[in-house]
Amino acid sequence: MFKNEEMEINLGPQHPSTHGVLRVKLRLDGETITHCRPMIGYLHRGVEKICENQTFFQGQVWTDRMDYCSAVANNLGWAEANEKLFGITVPRRAQYIRTMLNEFNRLASHLIWLATHALDIGAMTVFLYAFREREDILDMNEAFCGSRLTTTAFRIGGLREDLPPGFEKLVKKFLAKFPTCLEEYENLLSENRIWKKRTIGVAKLSAEDAIALGVTGPVLRAAGVPYDIRKAFPYAAYAEMDFEVPTKTEADTYARYLVRMEEMRQSARIIQQCMDGMPEGPVMAKIPKILKAEVNEVYHATEAPKGELGYYLVGEKGSGNPYRFHVRAPGFINLQSLPKMAEGGLIADIVAAIGTLDIVLGEIDR
Amino acid sequence: MPIPTLTQSIVITLVQCLLVVIFVFVVVPLTVFAERKVLGYLQQRLGSTRVASGHVGITGWMNRGMWKWGRIPVLSYWRGIPGLVADVLKLILKEDIIPAKADRFVFFIAPAISMVSAVVVFAAVSFVPGVFFTFPKWFPFVGGLPVSGGIADINVGLLWILGVASVGVYGIVLAGWASNSKYPLLGGLRSAAQMVSYEVPLAISLLAPVVLSASLNFGEMSARMAVGLPFWGLVPQILGFLIYLTCGFAETNRLPFDMPEAENELVAGFHTEYSGMKFGFFYLAEYINMTVVAALASGFFLGGPWLLPFGLQGLVNPFLPAFLSWFGEPHAIFFVVKIIFLLFTYIWVRGTIPRYRYDQVMSVAWKYLIPLALFNLLLAALVRCFA
Repeated sequence: MFKNEEMEINLGPQHPSTHGVLRVKLRLDGETITHCRPMIGYLHRGVEKICENQTFFQGQVWTDRMDYCSAVANNLGWAEANEKLFGITVPRRAQYIRTMLNEFNRLASHLIWLATHALDIGAMTVFLYAFREREDILDMNEAFCGSRLTTTAFRIGGLREDLPPGFEKLVKKFLAKFPTCLEEYENLLSENRIWKKRTIGVAKLSAEDAIALGVTGPVLRAAGVPYDIRKAFPYAAYAEMDFEVPTKTEADTYARYLVRMEEMRQSARIIQQCMDGMPEGPVMAKIPKILKAEVNEVYHATEAPKGELGYYLVGEKGSGNPYRFHVRAPGFINLQSLPKMAEGGLIADIVAAIGTLDIVLGEIDR
Repeated sequence: MPIPTLTQSIVITLVQCLLVVIFVFVVVPLTVFAERKVLGYLQQRLGSTRVASGHVGITGWMNRGMWKWGRIPVLSYWRGIPGLVADVLKLILKEDIIPAKADRFVFFIAPAISMVSAVVVFAAVSFVPGVFFTFPKWFPFVGGLPVSGGIADINVGLLWILGVASVGVYGIVLAGWASNSKYPLLGGLRSAAQMVSYEVPLAISLLAPVVLSASLNFGEMSARMAVGLPFWGLVPQILGFLIYLTCGFAETNRLPFDMPEAENELVAGFHTEYSGMKFGFFYLAEYINMTVVAALASGFFLGGPWLLPFGLQGLVNPFLPAFLSWFGEPHAIFFVVKIIFLLFTYIWVRGTIPRYRYDQVMSVAWKYLIPLALFNLLLAALVRCFA
């Protein structure tokens, strides 16, 4: 007499909490998710192929547009991969400035994550508080390179320009107020019973699963694996910085929240160290106007805010553009773990899972 | 006092209805406006400051006018208020889309059920005990007749309120079902479960005032809770008040219990497929329901139309100068002020805390609120027996 049917439902591509044009195919038994498959590709622009038809200098502009929330980190990866390809040594001052801006970018990216994640779970106020601080970081981006979001901050071989006058003051002002801002968010969330109920034990991903799926970044660290490329394979000026890699073992959404909050603190520490130990000197290495590659290949991984961002470049003899370009986008690989996290949970949990993965569709679809 | 004829009493009742409707339609838009502004200020932004995109036409005219007035410092806060007019205009002028596969009749009737059941509750709410005002002698037809503080101050007022309010859930469930679409269906199912569950602790928490005041009549209950007890009803019934308020939040689908329309999960829940004034009816119904819950809470637990709590009323009265003597009397203004305060609480909570998950919402109701409400009822009964 009674039929028990599973309902198939599309979460997205137009949905308030899929962070762009992600489409997730769900099969629901009541409110429980029995089957979950993310469908991607709605924002595919063919960045990799486009970059193969552009010079090495021009390719940088496209990296801005992959993970548009952390353009600086993308720029850094591209610049360093190319420097590795051509064997360029970057001046020390440029390294420091890069490190500092990269950490600022990590703050901006984590603030966006916090804002949207909290909004998805229904805490509306944190959203606007976090955007308030992100605004200051974007202002600094603007002061440094003229644009706020798609920065194209660095050049292969160093920086286009030194820090603008007065930049130090901006940084100081920001660092002075940022810890209190973090406390403000944590007051609203950390001990909030509802927030804890919505995040503790939700969207679990064990360390074994995370490693098997290639998940990196805060999601991996929240499962207890202290893998941070800044420590494991230091690049830019990270070898000279003193910071900790926060880890948690609970491997749930709350642990990821705590890890990211602690990462923001550590980022602020790194910025402080960069400011204190900023060396003098040139910011650009001597490089030819046109870069011609040899037959060569590099893979360069950096710790982007979302995880391991790897650039794979293959050079062709005498050619001004890469023969092959591939991006190991952290969001793309991390998204694989969504079914593992969401299946068996409730419909509200998948929203938390998408939020905690901190995906940006520009990077996933490329 | 002259005894009104049947026709006269019908006219008077109509006047009362008109007053209540005016009250509702003044309070609701102001709540919407306050929601924008208060939420804005909670979040360190300005809230609405203009009608969206308008340099020409009606909206442009309103924008320019308000911008001029807004130069006066106090009025600058109110610059966003034409937005309310624009909102209503938009709702009325928008195309009214009925999905092809929808059940047309049910789809049509659902917002009406929501809206009507929300407004009709006010029939049994008495804004002030006794006479609200008397028509002046020169007034045609009803001159010299008193207008009481409630439309129908009936003996079973509370039953009426609970009964009619629970009809409202049909509007939401039917809307979710009639849309013939998946997200609204999920929203409708959620609301069916949630609102039925929360009806139970809500009713039990209201039984305590019934026990304490030995009445089901709204006016009498509020009078006895406010005056008969040594304090407002609030202090002996603080537990009941908090339970009631929590259930009220759930019944009106406000954060942290806005399951049926959880924006980030179900897009817009049960009203995803609605547009135009049909959607407007749901919107209105939500805010009217908020007002209803606030009115009941202030009537039963916050001393209704009486001003001062904690038995201070008697102490203060002799010292009040003559022109302030109405401070000593129950007055509808105080009632309204308390309603407005509770409405502010709604917005405040919305700005502060996240949303529960659906199963957690249910467990809150069944595991915590119902036992607590029963305990509270027991407490009230003990007080009634021995005090």
